[in-house]
Amino acid sequence: MAKWQKQIRTWIGRYFDLPSDVMLDLPRITTIGSIHVYIENHTGLLHFSDHEVRIQYKQGQVKIIGKDLGVKMMLKEELLLEGEIKSVEFLPEA
Amino acid sequence: MKVQQDFFQGSMRVKVQGKMIEPFLQACVRRGCVISNIKRVNEHEAVMTIRLSEWKTFRQLRKKYRCKLSILGGRGFPFYYRKITQRKALMAAFLLSVIVVFLLANTLWSIKVEGLTPELEANVEKKLKSYGVSPGKLTIGMDDPNDIQRKLLDDIPDLLWIGVNKKGTSYQLYGVEKTRHDTSKNLRPSDLVAEKKGMIVKTFIEKGRPLVTVNDVVKKGQKLATGQLVEDKDIFVHTEGEVIAETWYKVDQSIPMTQVLQLTDGLEIKEYQLKIGSLTIPLWGWWKENGPQFRSENKETSWEWFGWKLPIDLKAIHYYEIDSKKYEQSKDKIQKLGIITASESLNQYLGKEAEIMKEKVLHLREENGKVKLILLFKVHENIAVTKYISQGD
Repeated sequence: MAKWQKQIRTWIGRYFDLPSDVMLDLPRITTIGSIHVYIENHTGLLHFSDHEVRIQYKQGQVKIIGKDLGVKMMLKEELLLEGEIKSVEFLPEA
Repeated sequence: MKVQQDFFQGSMRVKVQGKMIEPFLQACVRRGCVISNIKRVNEHEAVMTIRLSEWKTFRQLRKKYRCKLSILGGRGFPFYYRKITQRKALMAAFLLSVIVVFLLANTLWSIKVEGLTPELEANVEKKLKSYGVSPGKLTIGMDDPNDIQRKLLDDIPDLLWIGVNKKGTSYQLYGVEKTRHDTSKNLRPSDLVAEKKGMIVKTFIEKGRPLVTVNDVVKKGQKLATGQLVEDKDIFVHTEGEVIAETWYKVDQSIPMTQVLQLTDGLEIKEYQLKIGSLTIPLWGWWKENGPQFRSENKETSWEWFGWKLPIDLKAIHYYEIDSKKYEQSKDKIQKLGIITASESLNQYLGKEAEIMKEKVLHLREENGKVKLILLFKVHENIAVTKYISQGD
């Protein structure tokens, strides 16, 4: 059922040329150099410390590793991180 | 914009302690809160900034996630406001100063009247006072300058025009007096008559028929001009005019040759007294001796308190030692002095219009240490006086 829905969504997105984050409920992650990370459309903050931040999204988790990390601003579905970012890693749920 | 909004709403720095910090924050955000500047201190502690208005939400959720919240400090307008209102004395002083400044700025401090004679000025000031416009009064509730202007013009008939200007805390009035033509002047038929003996130098008869010409010598009481326009006819008018005549004055003077001048030689003794009502209390210097060779000067200082005269006066008496000195003067000098003093006193006696033309020393003699001086003055003055004609019935 879920797989069928997903396929339909992908098809509609392609057909109408819609941005994939809207259609597929995926997070949009914008980084400004390596100092800021702007994450939209996430579903929750799982863990955060000054060297690692984990964020939940619909189909998995995002792991951001860096140094002196801090949350500049936190809204319902937005998150602005700042610090020295080293990597952004996706851990999709199988 | 956001920064300003946060400033007005107020924000707080809060420390969160607990094991479930992330779920707690997530729950708060889901409720619509905005969290900023989150820093992890250690495993069980984080510091963040939240809005003052969202504090309630945090407190409600705190128990559910077993977190401990503690406020580190507040920032923004609500906190400043509270800080200021807590200092009551400061607030009171501030309010008081505002009130005082307001009152002082709205007080009338001075009234300046220009362009009027002293009598009319006093009248204007009296009238102003009766309208409640006087220095020291509040201008709030006072009449408009235009109203004051109208009222003054209505109440004082002698004013032709008056401008009332409010300049800050003072009123400036500029008035123009009515030049009144004396309608009460008596225009009954009259003659011009000589006031004293003299030789006519110049005549100017405005109305009436002149009877004398230049170089005529007239006696006291002689007619100079008549109101009877045509001889032997009963047409009489009011006569007006000026007849300048040369008159003569003899001045007798006797001036002593030696003059005694009383000079102050600089020695001064001061004495102070305090007067309370009619009681006099010596304060200082009363033990000092002084004799008849001292001249005393009294100075009284009285104190006033908002227009009330205090019954206490300070009286200072200065004694100056007098040194009498005799001066002998030469005949020549005395003559000059005599002429000057005589002409001055004559000028005063005759008034402004008269003019001293010439003076002559008739007699100068030394007699018993005195100088006898007889002077003759030649004066040009108006000798015409109005004399009304009695027409009988």
